[in-house]
Formats: sequence, structure tokens, C-alpha cells
Amino acid sequence: MSIAVIRFPGTNNDDDVMRALRQIPAAKPYLVPSRKGLAGLQDAEGIIIPGGFSYGDYMRAGAVAAMEVISAGIRDLAEDGKPVLGISNGFQILAEAGLLPGALLPNVSARFICRWVYLRVSDQPSIFTENLENAVIRLPIAHAEGNYFCSEDYLIALEGEKRIPFKYCNAQGEITEDSNPNGSIENIAGVINQKGNVLGMMSHPERATRQILGSTDGLEILENFVRAIR
Amino acid sequence: MISKDELQIATKTLGRDFTETELRMIEALWSEHCSYKSSKRWFYLFKTTADNVALGVGEGAGLFDIGGGYYAGVSMDSHNHPSQIDPYNGAGSGIGGTIRNVISQGCKAVGLMNCLRFGHPQKPKNALSLSNAVRGISDYGNSVGIPMVGGEMEFDESFEDNCLVNIVCIGCVKSENVVRSIARTPGHHIVIFGSKTGCDGVGGVIFASNVISDSKDWSTSAIQIGDSLAEKVLIDTLTELLEEHLIDGLQDIGGGGLAAAAGDLAHSGGTGVEIELDKVPTRGVVNPSDIIISESQERMLAIIAPTNMDRVKTLLEKNDTPYAVIGKVTDDGYYTAKYEGEIIAKLPISLLVDGVLIPERVEGKIPSQTDSLSWFKEPDDYGSAIMNLISSVNICDRSWIYSQYDQHVQSNTVVDIGQNAGVLEFPNGRLLAFTSDCNSFWCKLDPQVGTANSAAESLRNIVSMGARPIFIANCLNFGSPEKPDSYAQFVESVRGLGRFSHDFNIPIIGGNVSLYNEALVDGQNRRINPSPQIMLAGIFKEKFSPIKRNLVTPWANIFLVGETFPELNGSEFQRVIVGEVKGEPPKYRPNWEKKTMDAILESHDRGLIRSCNNVGRGGIAIALMKMALRSEYGFKLNMEYIPGTVNSLAQSLFSETSSRYLAEVTESNQPEFLSILEKHELATCELGLTTLEPTADFGRFTIPLEKAKMEFSDGLGKYLG
Repeated sequence: MSIAVIRFPGTNNDDDVMRALRQIPAAKPYLVPSRKGLAGLQDAEGIIIPGGFSYGDYMRAGAVAAMEVISAGIRDLAEDGKPVLGISNGFQILAEAGLLPGALLPNVSARFICRWVYLRVSDQPSIFTENLENAVIRLPIAHAEGNYFCSEDYLIALEGEKRIPFKYCNAQGEITEDSNPNGSIENIAGVINQKGNVLGMMSHPERATRQILGSTDGLEILENFVRAIR
Repeated sequence: MISKDELQIATKTLGRDFTETELRMIEALWSEHCSYKSSKRWFYLFKTTADNVALGVGEGAGLFDIGGGYYAGVSMDSHNHPSQIDPYNGAGSGIGGTIRNVISQGCKAVGLMNCLRFGHPQKPKNALSLSNAVRGISDYGNSVGIPMVGGEMEFDESFEDNCLVNIVCIGCVKSENVVRSIARTPGHHIVIFGSKTGCDGVGGVIFASNVISDSKDWSTSAIQIGDSLAEKVLIDTLTELLEEHLIDGLQDIGGGGLAAAAGDLAHSGGTGVEIELDKVPTRGVVNPSDIIISESQERMLAIIAPTNMDRVKTLLEKNDTPYAVIGKVTDDGYYTAKYEGEIIAKLPISLLVDGVLIPERVEGKIPSQTDSLSWFKEPDDYGSAIMNLISSVNICDRSWIYSQYDQHVQSNTVVDIGQNAGVLEFPNGRLLAFTSDCNSFWCKLDPQVGTANSAAESLRNIVSMGARPIFIANCLNFGSPEKPDSYAQFVESVRGLGRFSHDFNIPIIGGNVSLYNEALVDGQNRRINPSPQIMLAGIFKEKFSPIKRNLVTPWANIFLVGETFPELNGSEFQRVIVGEVKGEPPKYRPNWEKKTMDAILESHDRGLIRSCNNVGRGGIAIALMKMALRSEYGFKLNMEYIPGTVNSLAQSLFSETSSRYLAEVTESNQPEFLSILEKHELATCELGLTTLEPTADFGRFTIPLEKAKMEFSDGLGKYLG
């Protein structure tokens, strides 16, 4: 299962994602610097866009990376049905590229936030959340622009089509205002595209893949991602 | 500024007048910041060697052998003056520079720490400076992908006109991949790479070696402006160059710019350098003497063998990293700088790097303090006294600050910030703990004792988690060395740290000195509290899980280990109640400190302690509250008798006597724990029990934890928004 892990200038979670994927026997991750363009994606059966600060996030987070040639290649593979996962800055890039609906606004606190959060996994099946339906999982976040927003129409569609796999919640699994770290509409912590093969999430599954780090919940999401490659 | 005497000596040695460029080079390298001319003479007091020290103080980072073929690296640096003028860029570029010190030894940068001292945040201008400095650190550190693992902060009005921003960067390198800052071989190329050279930071070290004055107009061009994306790309490029072992010598271009970087490389190699300044990639800087001392960020200077040159060029070009071959290593012992073919500087390396005139400095007398407690009176309401301390800016929750730092990138963070130390996993599978401390109030009253005790507090942070101390880095922040009273504080503090390092046999492998932290404000001289910032690293035994300070079980016993004396002078209790600190600060007791350390470590090794805390600022009261505040449990105590000579409840609660710990021990482990304490001839007492109820019950009074949590967590937020 060849998985392209994309590194834009300024991406800084690429090593973490590579390391986490290497824990999964079926995964064959390889690093693709974005300058390789479409050629870098030739063998990809799945794509992960890790977090970081692509192009320094000197413009809107993810906006420059979304304009790169390689992003067109990512779109093609997504349309082909290959699984695509954008984590944190990766989610921002997917939203900027129009592969996922909505936008990631600055956190309501107007500050960068790093902390552990709880996510309520939707009870609806998706390729990314197999065996996690309805679970409460614990992952870290680290971002300045993770405040998910979309129009009323989109929101209705996302809810109706069951495309919201994760919502911020408290330790008991209750979706409360207090447990929303960044102001996301409806506590949305991740969204899936219409086809069901592209997931964007602000929290970091790759940072919760070993017991010593405090959680292995992220590993299950990555395992699902690998399993989804057929 | 170079003094008349210095200029005279230098001219005499050179045998001719200086060119403009030469003068500016000398001025930069002979600055206090670059030359350590007032401080270096005392470093012999430090313990600097040990079997595991692979590289001591002197280059970018110290290296310490942690086994399995790996070294941990550490650099500690200050960016005080720039942060006072421009907190955002000053603090951010402080992060960048410290990282480059570490990566210049071939290390991967794996952790950061930040130690901040500012004026009280109730004044809006202080709050603004602090939040901008934190944002600078956050924007820069988060972007380059290095986790923040610890830090420390203190507020006092003495930092209002001279804030302190001290940064630690921790690295890791396989022993065979270490790179040295040496230009060994004549004929090798000198390559500059990273950002282009600009006008920012011109003369930064001279700025940092003077008193900030409101009458002198320091042009903001002395402040370095960071570019975190450039740093990240620089790190990625350097990683590729290092992987292929293409670099023969490497130095960060930091304080003193190209003049210092190339000068130091030649000095350590016993060689010379010839630099063509017109080849340096620049942005907006035209004057060659600006180019040579500019402190523009994100630049490195590498020594490359001719056979590796093509490959190096390929990698640099592939990564779009600006670079240029700007000269070569020579064997003549000179720093030769050319511009468009013309020699504009030719200085003996020995004069430039080593020739600084060692100035006479006068050590004044530290005013003696009394041990009188005449100011002390038992508070009417113990509960509200504790609440006042819990919400004091020098004790309260720091998460407003550290939640802005990425703590988890690189996926090695085992213990987040908010405990006694941050813990990282290293590639050899070992866990290392990192902490930093400095109680500038103790140091103000007695710099020697205060420094030694600040170091002892760092030690207890490490030990309470179950790690053994392995190395120290420090950043010594003081006022002007030209003033006897200020110089005395510095010298006494070095004596204190020297004593500690020998007493506990812990080598000092990294450090920095920042003097002239005083300012003329409206004709008044305002100097910082002496602030020797001490960073201590510890290593855990294999398979040991770090012990946190949060209470973890109900119905366990809480033990106080060590004796308590009526040492309230210099305490946070005194500061909060009286509004200032005075008197003799708590004594440094190395023998007791060692005994309690040995007993706690032995108990940890046998798995007897469930949670553990160091007793430090705020005394037992605050140490206990911190154990409960982030836990689900409370406690029920009887504080009427504790070992030592205190004679009131408030003295028991708030004394800051050193060498004490609190330990949570379950009933079944009690006999073994007590026998270990007995073996080490230590006084102890059982303070009470942990409880299911979330209440802090001190016997004579109780505090609802819910309310305490609010006071604690809002301590900074109420000023910072």
C-alpha cells in the first residue's frame, strides 16, 4: 500500500506521519517533496498531507500550497477514489483547494492552541472510522487556524450526508461549548467529502500512536486509512 | 563601544591604524557579548568535565553521551535587549539563533525551553510585551517543528525596563555524525547558506553589551528579524548535507556576524580565512563593513572540502537555499576580507578573537541581610493567604503561555509542560527530563546562596520525577559589570553555581552570559534582579515511567520528607504579604539535599511513590495545592507538627527551606518507604491522607479545590486576556 506523504516547504509533521505509518505492516509510506509535482504521485495509492506551516502560512494557512501543481495531482487521485487524509495544515490545504467544503478560520482565542482534546466519533460508518463508531477518542491539537466554518447549506448537507466523523467533546463524550477548543461551528473537528474518500481533521492522529505518548487512538485512524486502500 | 584603552592596545599590537571595516570587526568581537571579557575569568569555578561529556562549553552546543551511540546536545542563549525593544521579533529570533547553535554541531533539534522575566502584567505595557514575546516564540518555534518541553517565568518590576528572554534548545546526534566548529584544512571552501544578508541586526552584539538608555537612540536595525520558514528550509537542507557527511566544519552566523563566525572557525582550527564580501548574497545591504557584522538570521557558515563541493551545490540548489562560496581557509593566521578584489581588512586571528583587553573589574560588597522575622505575623485567614499565593503571578498556572507552544511535534513528548519537568524520548529509547529554575528574589538577597538554591530546586524537580541529574546549562543575566555592586552579584552567583556543580558532581556543558541588563529611565538607573537561569537535564533508568505530581489514588498517605526551618525571608509569602523581599533567603544545604535526593531516587527505583513534588516557591502549602489542582482527589491533613524548628502553622505552610519533597505513598508501600528514609537518617512525617472529596483540608482550615482551580488558572489570563 504505497502512501505518498507530501512535504511542502514548511511542512513539519512529515517525519511523524512517516514514523507512525511504519508501525503499520501493510503501509509503504514514502516522502514526496511538493516540488516533485505530479511525478511524485505516480505510484501513490493513498495520500496524506501532514501538518505544519506550508510556505510559512504567511498568507492564509494552506492557501499557497493549494495552488501548487502537486495539489492538482492530489485532486485527480481523490476523484479516482483513492483515500486522502489532510491533518491540521493538511486539512487547511484541502479546504483551500476546494476538495473539502468550508474554511478554517483563526481560533476564536486568536492564539495558537496546543493541547489534548476529546473527539466524539460519529455513529455513521466511514472508511476512516471503522470500529470507532460512537467512541470517545483522545488526540492532541496544535494550530492557530482550526475554527471550522461553513455556510448553512453546507452544514445541512454535511449533517444530512453524515460527513462529520468527529466532533470536539468532553471526557464523557458530551459535545459541549466548553470542549470546543477553537470555535468550530457545531464543534466540528473533521469533515469528509461527498464521495467519502477524503478526510480533513485538525487534531493529530500521528501524535497518538504509542502508549508512551499518552494515547494510541490515532493509530486506529491511520490503520483504517491503510485498510481503505484497495 | 570600544574604549580608548582597547583601541590603543589594539593599534599597538597591529602596528598601524585600523581600516573602518577592521574597527567594526574588532568592536563586535571585543564586545562583552562575544568576548566574555568580564565573565570568562570566573568560569574555572564551574565543574565542566565528566566522563560522559563529549563536548564541553565553547562551541555552539555542549554534547553529553546518553548511551547507545547517541549524544544529547544543549545550547542556552539570551535575547534580552532585542526583546525589550521589539518583543515579537526579539524573542522569535532568539529561538532561531539557539536552534542554529545546536544544529551547527550536527544535532537534530528535538526540544525547546523558554525562560521569561517581565514586569508585572497588571501594567498593560508589560502584558503587551509579554504576549508579543510569547507570540514571537510561538510563531517561530511552532513553524520550525520543534516541541516546547519546558520553561519558567517570573515577574518583578525590575524586569520592566529589561525583560529577559532566555532560550534553551536541546538536540540529539549520533556520535559519528558530530560536526565541529573548526576550519581545519587550508584550501577548503567557505560556504555561506541560508537567508540573504540584510541590514537587520547590524551591531547587535554591541547593542547587547550596553545599557539601554532612553537618551541614546538605538536604531531598530540592531534588532534581528526572524523568518521561520527560512529556518525550517535551512534545517531540512542541513539535515541532507549532514546525512551525507559533506561538512567539515560548521558555525551558525550569530552574534558578531560573519566577523565572529569565520574568526571563530579559524581560531579553533589554528588557521586563517579569506572572505570575499562581494560574493555574500545580500538583500538591501551595500556597505561591506555592514555585511561583515550583520546579524541577519537563518544563515550558516560551512567549511567544505573541494571534493564535496559539487554535491553540496547540488543539494543547496535542489532545496532553493540561497548560498555562495565566499572564500577559503588559509594557513596564514589572518582574517582577510576583500571587497571587489581590494583588501579592506586584514587582522591577525589572534588579535581579533583572542586579543581583547581584559578589563579590570571591581567586585563590590554584597550588603549583608538579617535573619530577623520581625515583619512576620500569623495571617488571620490561612485559606485566603493560600489563595493569594495560588493566584500570584509568580506561582499561578502558566498554561495561558504554554498552550501557545506546540509540545507534541516530532512525537517524542512523554510528559507535557505543567509538571516538574518535561520529558522526551530519545532515539536510543531513553527518557530524559528537562527543567529550569531561577528564583531571582533569593538571588537579589544573596546571589551565591540564591543561585545554589535555585539550582537545587531544579535538581528536586528532576529527582521528584524519578530521574538522575546529568548536566547543566545556564544563562547568567546581570547588570553592568562596570559597576562594583552589580559585578559582585555576578561573581557571587558564579560561585554559587560553581559550588552546586561540584557538590552534586553535575557538569555544566552549555551557557551564556548576558550583562548590562539595566536601563536609565528618567535619569534613574534600573537594574534587573540577578537572574542566573539554570537548566538541568536528568535521565531515567530504563523502563521507568516518570512520576508526576498529580495525586493519583484516594486513601494514600502524603509524606513530607526533610526538615522545615523558619525560612520565610525571600519567600513568595513575604513578597505577597509585605510587597517586597528582604532578609536572608533560605539556606543552601547540600548535605541534606543529597540525602533527600538519594532517598527519593531509591524509593522511585523500587516503585514506592505514586506522585511526588518538590517543595519550592510558596512552601508546603503551594506544593500540596499543586498536587491536588490537576488531580481528581483532595487531601485531609494534620499540620500541627512537622519536623524542624518552625513554630507556627503559617511558618510550616510557607517556609521555603530547601531539600524537601512531598510523596504520595500507598499503605502497603509505607514500611519499605519509611525504612529507606530511616536508612538515610532523614526526618519525615505523615501529613495526612488523599481523599475522594475534592477539598484541600489542612486540619485547621479547608479550601474548596474548585475555587482554588479557578484562582490558579486565571492568574495570568486575568491580565493577558
